[in-house]
Amino acid sequence: MATASVNGRTVDLPEDDEPLLLDVLRDRLGLTGAKLVCGAGVCGACTVLIDGAAVVSCLMPAKAAAGKTVTTVEGIGAPELHPVQRAFMAQDALQCGFCTPGFIVEAKAFYDEWRTKHGAVAPSREDIGAAFCGHLCRCGAYDNIYRAIVDACAGAYDRAGREAPRLGARDKVTGAAVYTHDIRHEGQLEGVILRSAHAHARVAALDLSVAQRMPGVKAAVSLLDASRTVTFVGDPIAAVAAADRETAERALGAILVQFEALAAAIGPEAALAPGAAVVFPRGKGLKYNAGEGGNSPASWNGNLRGPVSAFSLRRKTARKAIDAARAANDPLLVEGVFRTSAQQHNSLEPHVAVAHFDGEDLTVEVSTQAVSALGAEIAKHFKLDPARVRVLAQHVGGGFGSKGAMRFETIAAIELAKVARAPVRVAFSRHEELSVAGYRPAVELRIALLPARDGSLSALSLTAHSDAGVAANNTVAGLARLIYTAQAKELLDYDVISNLPPGSPFRGPGGPPMAFALEQAIDEAALRLGQDPIALRKRWDANPARARLYDWAMGLDVWKARTAPSGEGRYRRGVGVAAGYWLYLWQADTKAELSVIGGRLVASLAVQDIGTGTRTVIADTLAREFGLDPSEIEVRLGDSKLPLGPGSGGSRVTASIVPTLLEASAKLKARVQGAPAAGGNAPWRARLAASPDLSVIAGRPADAKRNIYGNASLLHEAGIVGRLFGWMLRFQQKLAVGAGAPSSVQVIEVEVDTWLARVRVLRAWSGIAVGKLAAPALARNQAAGAFYQSLGHALYEGREIDSRTGRVLSVNLDDYRTPGIGDAPPIEVHFEESGFDHVPGGSVGIGEVASVPTPAALANAVRNAIGVRPQEIPIRPDRLLALLKGAAHVDGR
Amino acid sequence: MSMAADPTRPEYRAAGTDLSERRRSGVSRGALLDVAAPAGVEPTPDGGLRLGALTTIAALAADPAIRAGYPGLAAAAAGLATPQIRRMATLGGNIAQRNRCWYFRNPDIACLKKGADACPARAGNALYAVAFDSAPCVAPHPSTLAAALLAYDARLDTNQRRDAPIAEALGDGRAASAETALRPGELITAVALPAPASNERAFYKRAIGRAHAEWPLVELVLRASVEGGVFAGLRLVAGGVAPVPLRLQAAEAAALGKPATATTFAAAAAAAIEGANPLPQSRYKLDLLQGLVLDLLEQAASQG
Repeated sequence: MATASVNGRTVDLPEDDEPLLLDVLRDRLGLTGAKLVCGAGVCGACTVLIDGAAVVSCLMPAKAAAGKTVTTVEGIGAPELHPVQRAFMAQDALQCGFCTPGFIVEAKAFYDEWRTKHGAVAPSREDIGAAFCGHLCRCGAYDNIYRAIVDACAGAYDRAGREAPRLGARDKVTGAAVYTHDIRHEGQLEGVILRSAHAHARVAALDLSVAQRMPGVKAAVSLLDASRTVTFVGDPIAAVAAADRETAERALGAILVQFEALAAAIGPEAALAPGAAVVFPRGKGLKYNAGEGGNSPASWNGNLRGPVSAFSLRRKTARKAIDAARAANDPLLVEGVFRTSAQQHNSLEPHVAVAHFDGEDLTVEVSTQAVSALGAEIAKHFKLDPARVRVLAQHVGGGFGSKGAMRFETIAAIELAKVARAPVRVAFSRHEELSVAGYRPAVELRIALLPARDGSLSALSLTAHSDAGVAANNTVAGLARLIYTAQAKELLDYDVISNLPPGSPFRGPGGPPMAFALEQAIDEAALRLGQDPIALRKRWDANPARARLYDWAMGLDVWKARTAPSGEGRYRRGVGVAAGYWLYLWQADTKAELSVIGGRLVASLAVQDIGTGTRTVIADTLAREFGLDPSEIEVRLGDSKLPLGPGSGGSRVTASIVPTLLEASAKLKARVQGAPAAGGNAPWRARLAASPDLSVIAGRPADAKRNIYGNASLLHEAGIVGRLFGWMLRFQQKLAVGAGAPSSVQVIEVEVDTWLARVRVLRAWSGIAVGKLAAPALARNQAAGAFYQSLGHALYEGREIDSRTGRVLSVNLDDYRTPGIGDAPPIEVHFEESGFDHVPGGSVGIGEVASVPTPAALANAVRNAIGVRPQEIPIRPDRLLALLKGAAHVDGR
Repeated sequence: MSMAADPTRPEYRAAGTDLSERRRSGVSRGALLDVAAPAGVEPTPDGGLRLGALTTIAALAADPAIRAGYPGLAAAAAGLATPQIRRMATLGGNIAQRNRCWYFRNPDIACLKKGADACPARAGNALYAVAFDSAPCVAPHPSTLAAALLAYDARLDTNQRRDAPIAEALGDGRAASAETALRPGELITAVALPAPASNERAFYKRAIGRAHAEWPLVELVLRASVEGGVFAGLRLVAGGVAPVPLRLQAAEAAALGKPATATTFAAAAAAAIEGANPLPQSRYKLDLLQGLVLDLLEQAASQG
């Protein structure tokens, strides 16, 4: 039998030709550090060393390893961490950590070779960009990855030294962190889902009996609801669990389904065409919600839902002013149509759940953004006692909005586990992940913006048509109410329903598309008024935190050196700016338990760390309160049995948990103070050590009544409708919208290659106002990552479909193109820490606001470079060429 | 390496960097035939090189004799895929790999190359399709090395024939079952390169959206000799635009014997798209092709 040496151990390789090395490592040897993500050699998450050379194990036949030395991430760093591991930890070169093992393996090989060839000198950004182009990080930790590799090669980490600022980093750089996708219980079955090949059909008959009887098959269940109707290609029909994936997939082929095809409408254009098939007559049958709130009432006209116009301000006045300006050919009237594409979340850990019943007790390990809410949702859906449902998520490989609610991986795993009476794992393939797991809806935005003669903003009209397939409730245009003061605003939101998979919330839902139109219109207005675009924003924008960010941006050398487009030369440079905001949300029913256990401080709450650094936010907050080192604090999370915590969505976690932890700290201090063994003025470390075990629970205290904004909630700026909306959120979801707005202003410098139609981002500046930084060492990483992800949307990322069949075509990571490390420009992150002093602790979330202005800032930079305005993202080479060709006359302003 | 339109027919496997993905997705389901063929680079009596079919891409890119005598091939090898893939993937496998069309790669969609009688991309989403539409299937040829080898007049040995010009082995791209004219069961064993030209420069570049690691929208291999400021020899082969790597003879003719100046570059670029018949969605590739011709001619003229 052929053998290989794996991390120093001789192992037998399978005799069979078929198995791939990654599957052998993960499934037979239990080495789950290497991850299966793309399965196509694109993302590098499965990278291992074969005789010292880094290769992708997802494509390598296992038998090809015969006689060779295989090193996985588990084989690096024992007994002592490798310098690149120390560097990744100290420089915080990771977020969710799912790509990290692949990067570490490549970095070890790169470091070893670099040091042999060059000694302890720093490689260039270009060297690293080329060497690591076979690795993708979806969180966008690229800037810190650069720093880590540079510093490690230069010798800064040859000896052990600096600690990691991120809790759990060591487990992530050594491959020890176990994600849901890595879980292998004894007797665990693998579940797969049968999906519709039709865009619209009724399932006339479904026969599972043949599949059920196949050897190795332990359960086969229907996933159809009472309507027995499938409304998109990929709509779930049934699921099968078997001992292994191959058997389960074979069984899917044995399920007999009879479809009655129904007329389909695929894509917004077809959905709005005369005579189009109506997907949900008057909304009947609508199941999916692309927004984060409940489905708000709206009118239906065929496949068109809306308009929702509640956030307008003197709507008719706005309409009249714009119509009059158009009739008068007012040169200040800016009008345009802008389009943003569907952006896939593409979390590197797919949607995955492992469900298992123990009597009446259900445990679901799941890659989720919301352990608390998901537990409640499961109990409700399956009619179970909430006390007997437990949701666990220790490490989550990214979410970005796509893992906020119960999805079919969870439903199928539970249904199958119920029948099979065994643990069942259901994990989406990358194909499923990139087609049916949700996406940021595509939007068409029609904008008209009218400055008055006196330079104020007279009227704004923004109409958004969102394309979220079979999902509704998009709010895009409405978001324009809460930034820039105008005399009147007409803000209309429509959903165009069609037989495509459902869109879902994605990092700042509606924010980047809204900004893409609004911030370009303002840029255009500034050109026409002959004003500095930042100065004009400052004039129209009443927010005091953004005013400080505008001052910062205006002071940047790159901004001061900005010139009008020349229209000449192959390479053309430009600089653009855009602003953005997000809502300051907090979960009003957040609880936290703070305990002293054996002299150690333990924080427990049912939140999850999806790579945003929640563990660290908790530890850093308590460390400051008690004068401890964060590593001295034990953080328990990722378990729905713990006191209720917020979901990782709406940037609400920091603003929900920091005040709660401060409240709990005060309570605990009072208890420890009063305990007999505690010494009066000793440091808290000593007093905790001497304290008997005890525990307190606190809720989220309210914000201070007085703040610099003069109202209790940003929504109050939207009048009575805003108040009503705020009240509904508070009542239905226990979600509060506080005063002030997390804000951002970004400046981007680009170089456009007019021959090869490529936009290269040279440098970026991101100014962020989110109050005091709760985890200062991690904040920059998250802000930069949000920027890079949004840059992907602006330049590369677009879902592509076949418009005849409704199939998604961009279902692999060759065709769905996310930024690599070579696409990540140097970025300077500037934090403006004032503005949230009314929040206990003074901190709100970064994750969403840091992504909102990016596509608009990029487009404004391209406009400044080539004199033509990009109206559609991603700005692919073909679109850039069309812009350059259409520019018979380059506008030199 | 493959030889089948029928997804259940046997396929050759070298490193598996293409085939493993198709097996995981279910696009290819036939028996596996792991190949045994030589690896390595050896000089030949006529002053050329003989490259074993299992030589890795990384080895080609790093080989001193290739870098010295065939820099366009070395640059093409260094410029394709990712470092991890280049360390595994082989010369023979690269030439015989299957196309990257998203209809072909999708296990749920039937297409010409999977035995159906029509090309769904032609009437569907053809964003990455050919711009020289000369075959029933609109997928561009996927092999960067094939373009470079065509530029160097390479010849192939297989288990069925010896010393075949690479153009003959690639065929016209009209075969329904493969992206080459290799016969059923035919396996590339070695590639021979003629003696290198003297006083020549060569370049490779691909037009892509991102910085690295992307299948080329368009790619170009250029060999040029400039004597007394005039193009004395020129060879241009484009990839990403046609069912097989495309020699741009009209562009070569437009520049040959002409001074290496911007006027000549522009004339060659204009001639490069002669005979093109893009699909509506792939028209942009012609602009990229012209941009690449300008770029590489300028580089050829400016160095040395």
